[in-house]
Amino acid sequence: MPRPAVSFVTFTIDGREVSAPENSMLVDAAKYGDAEIPVFCYEPKLGQPVGACRMCLVEIEGIPKLQTGCSTPVKDGMVVHTQTAQVHEAQRAVVEFLLINHPLDCPVCDKGGECPLQDITYGWGPGTSRFIEPKRHFRKPLELSPLIAIDRERCILCYRCVRFSQEISEDYQLILSERGAHSYVSTFDGHPYVGPFSGNIIELCPVGALTSTAYRFRARPWDVEGAGTVCTYCPSQCNVELTVRDDRVMRVMARDHDEVDDGWLCDKGRFAYQSTHVEERITEPLVREGSRLMPASWEKALDAAASGLKKAGGRAAALAGGDTTNEEAFLLARLFREGLGSPHLAGSPARELSPELSRALADAALQATVPDLEFAHAVLVLDCDPVDDAPILDLRIRKGVRRRGVRLAIASARPGALDPNAEAVLRFAPGAGEALLVGLDAALGGDTGNLGGAATAAGSNASAVRALADLLTGAGTTQSDFSHRSTGDVVILYGERLLTGPRGTETAQALLNLASRLGLAGRKGAGLLEIPSCTNGRGIREAGFAPAHGAGYADAGRGALVAPDIAAALSAGDLGALYLLHADPVRTHSDRAGWESALAKAQTVIAHSSALTDALREHADVVFPAEAYAEKEGTLVHPDGRVQRLRPAIGRPGRLGPTSGASQPGTGGVRPGWQVIAEIGRRTGLDLGVLAGPMASRQLFDAVPFYAGLTLDAIGARGVRWPAGEAASALGAGTWKLAKLSVPAITPAAENGTLRLGTWRSLWTSPEVDLSPVLRFMQPRQLVELSPVDADRLGVRDGDQVEVGAPGARVRGAARLRASVPGGSVFLLEGMHEESANVLTEPLVRVRRVRGGAPQPEATPALLTPAGEGQAEAPASAPLDIPPTGDGAR
Amino acid sequence: MQLLFDKIDLPGLNTLDVYRRELGGYEMLSRAFEMEPADVLSQLQASGLRGRGGAGFAMGTKASFLPKGDMDKYVVCNADESEPGTFKDRELMQKNPHLLLEGLAIAAHAVGANKAYIFIRGEYELQATILEAALEEAKAANLLGALDLWVHRGAGAYICGEETALLDALEGKRGNPRLKPPFPAVQGLYRGPTLINNVETLMNAPIILRMGGDEYAKIGTERSTGTKVVSVSGCVQRPGNYEIELGVPSRDIIYGLAGGPDEGRTIKFWFPGGSSAPVLPGTDEYLDLPYDFESMAKAGSMLGSGAIIVVDDAVPVVDVALKTAKFYRHESCGKCTPCREGTNWTVKMLERIDSGEATPMDLDIMASICDQIMGNCLCVLGDAMAMPIASMIKHFRDEFEAHIEAARERRGLGLGIPQVNRDDHAGQTDMLDPSGDGARVTVH
Repeated sequence: MPRPAVSFVTFTIDGREVSAPENSMLVDAAKYGDAEIPVFCYEPKLGQPVGACRMCLVEIEGIPKLQTGCSTPVKDGMVVHTQTAQVHEAQRAVVEFLLINHPLDCPVCDKGGECPLQDITYGWGPGTSRFIEPKRHFRKPLELSPLIAIDRERCILCYRCVRFSQEISEDYQLILSERGAHSYVSTFDGHPYVGPFSGNIIELCPVGALTSTAYRFRARPWDVEGAGTVCTYCPSQCNVELTVRDDRVMRVMARDHDEVDDGWLCDKGRFAYQSTHVEERITEPLVREGSRLMPASWEKALDAAASGLKKAGGRAAALAGGDTTNEEAFLLARLFREGLGSPHLAGSPARELSPELSRALADAALQATVPDLEFAHAVLVLDCDPVDDAPILDLRIRKGVRRRGVRLAIASARPGALDPNAEAVLRFAPGAGEALLVGLDAALGGDTGNLGGAATAAGSNASAVRALADLLTGAGTTQSDFSHRSTGDVVILYGERLLTGPRGTETAQALLNLASRLGLAGRKGAGLLEIPSCTNGRGIREAGFAPAHGAGYADAGRGALVAPDIAAALSAGDLGALYLLHADPVRTHSDRAGWESALAKAQTVIAHSSALTDALREHADVVFPAEAYAEKEGTLVHPDGRVQRLRPAIGRPGRLGPTSGASQPGTGGVRPGWQVIAEIGRRTGLDLGVLAGPMASRQLFDAVPFYAGLTLDAIGARGVRWPAGEAASALGAGTWKLAKLSVPAITPAAENGTLRLGTWRSLWTSPEVDLSPVLRFMQPRQLVELSPVDADRLGVRDGDQVEVGAPGARVRGAARLRASVPGGSVFLLEGMHEESANVLTEPLVRVRRVRGGAPQPEATPALLTPAGEGQAEAPASAPLDIPPTGDGAR
Repeated sequence: MQLLFDKIDLPGLNTLDVYRRELGGYEMLSRAFEMEPADVLSQLQASGLRGRGGAGFAMGTKASFLPKGDMDKYVVCNADESEPGTFKDRELMQKNPHLLLEGLAIAAHAVGANKAYIFIRGEYELQATILEAALEEAKAANLLGALDLWVHRGAGAYICGEETALLDALEGKRGNPRLKPPFPAVQGLYRGPTLINNVETLMNAPIILRMGGDEYAKIGTERSTGTKVVSVSGCVQRPGNYEIELGVPSRDIIYGLAGGPDEGRTIKFWFPGGSSAPVLPGTDEYLDLPYDFESMAKAGSMLGSGAIIVVDDAVPVVDVALKTAKFYRHESCGKCTPCREGTNWTVKMLERIDSGEATPMDLDIMASICDQIMGNCLCVLGDAMAMPIASMIKHFRDEFEAHIEAARERRGLGLGIPQVNRDDHAGQTDMLDPSGDGARVTVH
């Protein structure tokens, strides 16, 4: 779908002739003439203007009444006045009206100093008030949610937060209750406003009515500085501005970037900064002495790590994950390949694609951008749920569907938050992504023979697969000749998990076939967009931290082990050392028992981590304190190929002096990851040639052909998408030739009382959330999602404690019945601290109710409610019993 | 002249048989179905019929704004008659529901609408039941053609009589007014082109077709054609609905038809068009005005919904003002600032005046609040309070001041301080008081 073309028109504002984009609203157009029209309720991010606050009244020649500048599009030849007596009078009136019930408690209000109501009152208000009646009163502040405090006396009823809830996050929780002067913001059922994006309303609020519990009373605007960087808590890599006071992060706010985050943040991004400043942070190196990890000097820790690695040599392996930067991944890959002679580098839990396939998938011609999600004709969400995997993309897709008429198709095993917005939803059996893609390929290629078989193998049926294919091609008609159907702009958003596992290669081929059949290559506004399994999954891969390829997807020879094989080799004693770069396989990888045994058997385990996990506490030999992202320097690659820059906002802890009694003065503290790797390199006999962070970036840009010409300055604050750059062709992806696909084996059917196991990861299962006090209420407990039919057969009711097991492993959790879960499947959370699905390795499991385990209503955890499913699944919590105390109480 | 009220009190007129037998019911709809929609529309335009709900916009012109073409179009009948003093639609719907259905169907045919709704206020339980029964009859007799017609009961909010709030309420949302443009004719119900008209307006459609638009236009004055059902209430001897030809002297309605005030009383002032119309004093100058759209506008008020509320000299103006302001405060939806805060503030000031805590200067502030509301709101509800209050202060300032004095004396506060005239300070800008409103002295 073509982006709307912008043409300019000429209009006159305050006697000055200026040109502004046609159909832009007057408040925006006025800026082209250096005129400011004040606004409260207008916020273009929220969609159509509502004209509620009446602050933006302006005079337009030819129209007798004043008009709202927020809702009047500029037209050629329009003559607008913002400085006439009539306009001044109206603006003064609105400010006076707004202030009559506002408490004017600016000296103790968090918003004071950065408050639009203050600013506009100074600029346009009357200066004095003629209102001497009692103001209206409410109990305050109230917890709108554990994250947000609401002060209804300060509220000016601008509707912004309500519109956000109704039209952006579409959770439909916030409303205005009552009428007229009694109106107040509330949730419609009185329950707390809990959702993945609730924090955005704090930033939207033009007064101090909605304040952050975590930031409340911690700083005033004149105490703080802003520092821009990129959030590293998920692959969305939203641009953020950190509010810093006294070298501490106090708050995270959006740093609007249309092509990345559209100006929104999820609550994890907004509040998990708390994990930066907690007691649990490791701020000095730790070295194992006997059974315990003890603080040690940097010298000692680096020596210990280097000697362990040197001893293992080619028998060392490394995993990278979390917020590993491109530079860290690149340097560690060099250390392993050049210094130790080891190729065993796993940047992903189980991806084992050949360099050719990796190049083909990364082909610049096939890369969709984030805004493409909004402007495409159709979006296919494939085997992922954006709200958990890359939440900000969930909002972008909603926007596309709501405002631009994007046709949304979803093909996933587990029901997702976007299902209600989709035109077509196809459920396939857990793990049957390949079969589905083969089916789609057959439907598009007219191979009716394969279609039926593949659809059955996917646990679906031919007509559903064909309907999905029709939606993608934009065909509403029943043309018999599939091959000549024209295609529209299609974006396929898929999760990396689709391509992991032993059939990853075949699945990737099928995906590339699909892209080819839809004609996505080279088509502007269409393509593939992958959500990697860790924040910088794409960057780690492109830096060469992968078993099969080096930097820039260059062939790296064969023989390297992928993650699951590394675990096996460690357990078997074939590998000696394991280097964990911000990775914790016990938490994030499948086969938890296998990894625990691997770590126990490994002679040397070296880790970069900001906090101790159980696995590290028990098995690590050397732990280097890792930087928080606010302290970090380096680059990341966004899933759509945008190279973004991390900039340190605060200093690293403890670097200036002694941090604990056990270490030598001046030797503790956190050091940058690149520096640690370079030091180890020096000690193992490899000079990586890096003396400063930017030198590592320079090496990386030189080593990756398609990064040619990139500099840190060019990346700047907005990032650079390499697929759009001149060097993109240096990738050498070639043209994809349709692969011959075969129908994969039928996914094991649920029989003899077993169910197919599907796993998913919640946004709220991560170390940052564990470490952030305000977010702990969002941590999920294990949920066993079942279809009511299966539950009925098993005698399980909603909320029952159930056990899910395969031979040798069991997971306990609360049963949750969902009508949208396909029969024969069960879904469990993975990546959890305990009771995690990672312990289960078999595709089929048995579910049974735990004897005596009575239904536990409170066992429904404080899990976010997928927006489409309504309030019925909201967390049980006490309603806000807060009727207004009424006005006029004297 | 009785057009809408022709045989209105005939028993059983609300049934299809009587309506067809006595009034030739549904003949005009059949005739309309035989005509081209454009011809029906031109008849409506020729009649010069102006909307009877309050705004007085030419009905045919509004109908002509709907885009032509094949799409879902709607006609909505606004039967949310909630303006204080207005009860004409109630009687019309109760006694002659088929005339409304026929008029609605004719209008739908004229604009090419396939769906129609009657949004009736929730309190009109009886009338809604009668309408529903009539609709059943008409549907059973297959009189409405392909028109999909529904009676929808509102929940009793005055704001839902505002056309865009009505549409929101009809869509199942909270009844808040929408921004205009887009106007409903372009983007109304479910974003489709929508014609919204008052009950009385639509009931005129069959009459216009029967008489011919040009013939109808000869009734009334040049720019206020036709007849009008006027609801007269308040301090009169014979309150009720009267159908008059537009342009008759107002005195004839108030004294002639409604019998004037009680013996020994004189008219202090009257609302010519519902409680949202600025009041007119009960002097000959105003009572002799012809009752039509232009004359009322020229006199500084409006014909509105055609509801005359008469207030005699026994009623304190402050009481009327307070009652009026409280109604609008209660009914303000709260979406836009001036209406939400302005109505609330005005009530509080009037309460202070009544309880003896005000000074004459508060009258200036109140007038200025009304000024600040008028023309600055999202819809006209704010203006609906500001206009009558401002007019009462303008015409009866002396009485307000006397009321303030008396109330203050009752409280033992003595004489009020002299008022500061706003005009004396006009243009004054000083740091402490850039608004130029004059120094305010609070006396308690």
